Amino acid sequence: MGDYKKMWQDLNMDIEKHDILCEALPEQFGDIYLTQENRPEAMNYFNYVVAEIHGARIMELEKYKKEGGKVVGTFCVFVPDEVILATKAIGVGLCSGSQFWIEDGEKILPRNICPLVKAFTGAKIGLTCPYFQSCDMIVGETTCDAKKKAWEIMDEYIPVHVMELPQMKREKNIKQWEDEIRIFINRMEELTGNKVTIESLKKGIDICNGKRKALKRMYDLRKNTPSPISGLDALLVSQVAFSDDPERFIEKTEELCDELEERVKELKPNGKKRIMVTGTPMALPNWKLHSIVEGLNAEIVVEETCTGTRYFENEVSTEGDTIDELVRNMAERYMDINCACFTPNEGRVEDIIKYVDEYNVDGVIYYNLSFCHTYAIEYEKIAKALKEEDIPLLKIETDYSEEDTGQIKTRVEAFLEMI
Amino acid sequence: MAKHYILFPNYSQGLKLEVLLKQNNIKYVISPTPRKLSTSCGISIMYNKKDEEVIKDIIDKNSVEIKGLFTIE
Repeated sequence: MGDYKKMWQDLNMDIEKHDILCEALPEQFGDIYLTQENRPEAMNYFNYVVAEIHGARIMELEKYKKEGGKVVGTFCVFVPDEVILATKAIGVGLCSGSQFWIEDGEKILPRNICPLVKAFTGAKIGLTCPYFQSCDMIVGETTCDAKKKAWEIMDEYIPVHVMELPQMKREKNIKQWEDEIRIFINRMEELTGNKVTIESLKKGIDICNGKRKALKRMYDLRKNTPSPISGLDALLVSQVAFSDDPERFIEKTEELCDELEERVKELKPNGKKRIMVTGTPMALPNWKLHSIVEGLNAEIVVEETCTGTRYFENEVSTEGDTIDELVRNMAERYMDINCACFTPNEGRVEDIIKYVDEYNVDGVIYYNLSFCHTYAIEYEKIAKALKEEDIPLLKIETDYSEEDTGQIKTRVEAFLEMI
Repeated sequence: MAKHYILFPNYSQGLKLEVLLKQNNIKYVISPTPRKLSTSCGISIMYNKKDEEVIKDIIDKNSVEIKGLFTIE
């Protein structure tokens, strides 16, 4: 394990500062995850990914790069991983879920923007994230103003390719997104020197659909009362989906689901309140809300977030004999995601109501990262729709700090008593 | 409560032991290595004290390289 230091040095990391991060993780993970009782045995693989997140996985990336491969970093469910795979590159979702990086982020960004954007910027400029240091390029998108402007700053440190995501869902917007995907294909071809072919793109689509199927299978199992897996563990699976090798992830998640299927046969109702979390994404290692809620008499059974249903719902069709047709299929699937960046975004309201029923939810927690305006504003519409359906709702607006943990706990406790 | 850990010189030895523990139906948990035991991050394996002798035996017979077995009170 000692040889990681040499690797991190070669990656030009700030070893001393990074060491502070490494110091915190085992304890945090131990306290939140390893104290859970009766965890599925298949979670060991996900423990492994976390334990080796700055070690073994980075070694794999470095090995791949030595063989001439390319690594690109992404931040959003709109970036089409299919294209990355089709050019034989490795795509990694970058960590941006820790308070640790905020201080460095605030050195060059305003304080009043969302913690996720401040964290990823801090992780790069503070030289404390080996993924950033391994990336040949970052793929950004225009899903929010903070990110849109942060890419310009990021581009001074590492090459950035920005995809312009349309903000409406008319036919012309879907066509615009098709065009963005084609531009992205060209950029990835230039970066890797590998041409996208019908076969390579279909293979990329198959792998991404495989990931979606595996996650969907796990979520379907959570519909059981009680859920055979904690919300904390399910969140970890979703987070790992962004960073680990996709084929290994599919294999291990299917193994987990096999085990969960067996568990479902034995489980008896436990009286815990069933909670849906909806709102902004929870990037690794943001486990804050889940650990508060599941520390009380409740289980989180579904996340309508980018680290939840938005990531895996709907597959990309592989029907078609030309690249253009496949690009169209991808554009249709991605433009079907109900992110709050769209106007209007009625689909999200419908999704939430549908999931309340499908997952037999007792109450909904609206999770909003501080200063994420689109989601904060959309709250009103969601609140109105849920009130009409008589579904209890609690809004939690927070960042990554621990300062408000006690307060959130009190509010969630009161909410659970009420429902 | 005391917790018991096995530490490894690299992750592949950890994964090698994991496979063997699984084959022998011995319960274990993969965990990030506690800071008290090592300053370098990476995996360790937590085990139950009652299985210690059997595990030592498996490690010897299969030449798994380990840094040692440790207990934290």
